[in-house]
Amino acid sequence: MPPFAATRRAAYDPGFVPKTEYNGVAPPPACVTHSPDPGESVRYGASVEFRHVSKRFSSQSSGAAVEDLSLSVPPGAICVLVGPSGCGKTTTLKMVNRLVEPTDGQVLIDGEDVARFDVVALRRRIGYVIQHVGLFPHQTIADNVATVPRLLGWPRERIAHRVDELLDLVGLEPDQFRRRYPAQLSGGQRQRVGVARALAAEPPLMLMDEPFGAVDPIVRERLQDEFLRLQRRLGTTVLFVTHDIDEAIKLGDRVAVMQEGGHLAQYSPPAELLMHPANDYVARFVGGDRTLKRLALMRVADVPLEPPVAGLEPTCAPGATVREALSSLLATPAGRLLVVDDGAGRPLGTLTLAAIGSALRSIATASTPDRAEAPRRQTDGGAP
Amino acid sequence: MTAGEPLVRWDWVLSHLGDIQTRLAEHLVLTGLALLIGFGLSFALSLAIRRYPFLYEPVTWGTGVLYAIPSLALFALLVPFTGLSLLTAEIGLVSYTLLILIRNTVSGLRSVPPDVKEAAIGMGYSSGQLLWRVELPLALAVIVAGLRVAAVTTIGLTTVTALIGQGGLGFFILDGIQRFFSTPLIVGAVLSVALGVAADGALVLIQRWATPWARVGG
Repeated sequence: MPPFAATRRAAYDPGFVPKTEYNGVAPPPACVTHSPDPGESVRYGASVEFRHVSKRFSSQSSGAAVEDLSLSVPPGAICVLVGPSGCGKTTTLKMVNRLVEPTDGQVLIDGEDVARFDVVALRRRIGYVIQHVGLFPHQTIADNVATVPRLLGWPRERIAHRVDELLDLVGLEPDQFRRRYPAQLSGGQRQRVGVARALAAEPPLMLMDEPFGAVDPIVRERLQDEFLRLQRRLGTTVLFVTHDIDEAIKLGDRVAVMQEGGHLAQYSPPAELLMHPANDYVARFVGGDRTLKRLALMRVADVPLEPPVAGLEPTCAPGATVREALSSLLATPAGRLLVVDDGAGRPLGTLTLAAIGSALRSIATASTPDRAEAPRRQTDGGAP
Repeated sequence: MTAGEPLVRWDWVLSHLGDIQTRLAEHLVLTGLALLIGFGLSFALSLAIRRYPFLYEPVTWGTGVLYAIPSLALFALLVPFTGLSLLTAEIGLVSYTLLILIRNTVSGLRSVPPDVKEAAIGMGYSSGQLLWRVELPLALAVIVAGLRVAAVTTIGLTTVTALIGQGGLGFFILDGIQRFFSTPLIVGAVLSVALGVAADGALVLIQRWATPWARVGG
């Protein structure tokens, strides 16, 4: 039985309308569809569901690693599992590709219990990136990226083509990197190769265990941005583990906050998490600056701007996060910023502290936006 | 050794070139066979240890005991059972390779970074694919290091097998001792050392050729 290809369609949540190209047509198996253009492959993410999953390790005298966990990830969403070390987030992740088998409960991919798949075939259909990347030091970058296609027995030319496409996709010049060994790459470059390798066979699901944990903050931020762009373009469902709440808020469509003993403390979109922490534990975990963190989720364009004032310095772009804008605003004596169109330089309005405050309050009282219900797909696909 | 006799009589060397060639070939066969069989056994045992790690202690203990038996005593003990035969020689020579080869093969396999193994398993390598495509290539440097030590010691040890009539370069050494004649003794010893150095060098070259990734700068 091919892992979760046959029944994928049926398992999608009814709210999700597929892109027009595939309307009314059963989606082809993901591993054989890709266009020659890098990044233009349009596919489906898989859905993932945990049903009352528990894991107890025999070595653990007290308590469970994961306790009665139930959560579901819609196709195409990024679900971030976040929590302190020992909260069971990595164990949770590994139960999806069966590096760890649950003691109780089921993990379902597109509605099918992973326990029913052949374990090797299952893993070849799931992208996997770990913190230390685990690139094969004895293989060139091209061979590393080609790992899963080779295991799947793709023809040689197709693999070579795919490798170049993927290196392009993650921003590594194929001619320059193809024949290098991992030891010749920087940490950030290795992480990119790790992502390319995980994406090689176009998996509908990616598992990422602190993939950006081992690089410096500047590179991490860039990798996060690139990863978000890539994920939106490909529509791959992602389960992402981190202990960094800021990373969780930045990347997650949904964030699962876990606490010691493998309990799920809260599972909601990041804005909801920041505005309405479910309990004291979550409130402490997201931090006392959670209002500031919310600002990082808002764009300047979302704030009701005052009329533009000519000649005001400095300026900011409507696409900037409110957090960045606030930072420059607080540093300017005028106490206001001119919002200027990125391209044309046309003044759009003036950002003030009062406007930010009222934006925060109005969002808090309005119905909470649920980013996971409308995953960050591009709108160009014909979804209504 | 007779007084006034030169250390090496070159005329003896020149008149025994054919002999020297034969003994050298014998020596190579004895050593090569021992290394081949020893490596095969060690490899199988190492794979068993990879599968059942609790075997490591008893296996290294057993091969350690073998390694500790003086070679002369071992050959003497074997002769009543297996005679003055190639089998006797090989049992002894193979026994002495096991400890080194098993220890190195196992530590080579254990030195493979856990994240590399985890990534491989997580991407859907079967156990056999993991072994042949990831673990063994990465363990190769340590395994070859073991082979180098085993090769050099076995080449030295093979000189002893002349005592049980198996020829090799030890024949000249024994001949020299028995006749108080230094020339064959020195020929045997020098060639044995040269063979050891050559084998070691060859293995280094093979390792360099087989592990191109180890040559790139970090």
